[in-house]
Amino acid sequence: MSPEVWAQLHGATTHFPIALALSAVACDAAALCLWQRPLAERLHFAGKLALAAAALACLPVIVSGLLMTRGGLWGAGALRSHHAFAWPAFALVIVLATWRALVGAAISRRAFALYLAALGGLAALLAAAGYWGGELLQRFP
Amino acid sequence: MKPLPAFLVGLAAATAACASAATFAVVLQRRAAARSHEQPAYAPPPEFAAIPPARRLAEGRRLFLNSCAHCHGEDGRGDDGPDLHALWVSDRRIATVIHGGIKGEMPSFAKKHRDVEIAELIAYLRTLD
Repeated sequence: MSPEVWAQLHGATTHFPIALALSAVACDAAALCLWQRPLAERLHFAGKLALAAAALACLPVIVSGLLMTRGGLWGAGALRSHHAFAWPAFALVIVLATWRALVGAAISRRAFALYLAALGGLAALLAAAGYWGGELLQRFP
Repeated sequence: MKPLPAFLVGLAAATAACASAATFAVVLQRRAAARSHEQPAYAPPPEFAAIPPARRLAEGRRLFLNSCAHCHGEDGRGDDGPDLHALWVSDRRIATVIHGGIKGEMPSFAKKHRDVEIAELIAYLRTLD
């Protein structure tokens, strides 16, 4: 398949992990606020599921991105800026999703707050990667 | 599982995922380079043969500084564009990229440079090892 097809797929798939990670942030932030209430448990579960789905949704994004650039891991200019945020975001989403899947529900509120801060960092990294991805489209449409 | 060991497992999973992506990238890079050499060999335009080698390189260098150095750096070591030293791809692939550009990464130079100028640019790029 031509790189253009992979570019279109990359553009189409890239929004799923962003939306799912932001959903995880929203659910988990709400769960932290409603810590002792019955609704918190459901929000915890939704947040956990959204983050796991975000980690899985990263796979087609990574594969299509690498195929589109013929194996370009870093690149230059705006592409380098895009990758400088995209790769740490990929690593962080894997770390957080694995951690969340393993610790289950038995975690302290403090540990959960730290996790939520890291999730906020992930959202910031994804936003920055998305910004530079948009810049690439603007510069060389 | 306690939070810290779970974090370490997460770190190991992320390392494995990134290593897999890097391996996949290297495989793709090598395959793209190999495929570029499978295409018919690049044939420079007939007038290129009449130009003395030293002049080809001097002209290629001049064209490089005018058109390419802005993004690839004056020494070709990369700036906004990638490093152009020791390119793996074939001359045909280089000519195609200069001529048609790369969507999302590099503009086309088809209107700016004639075929003989592209051949001079390729000759110069091959000196960057």
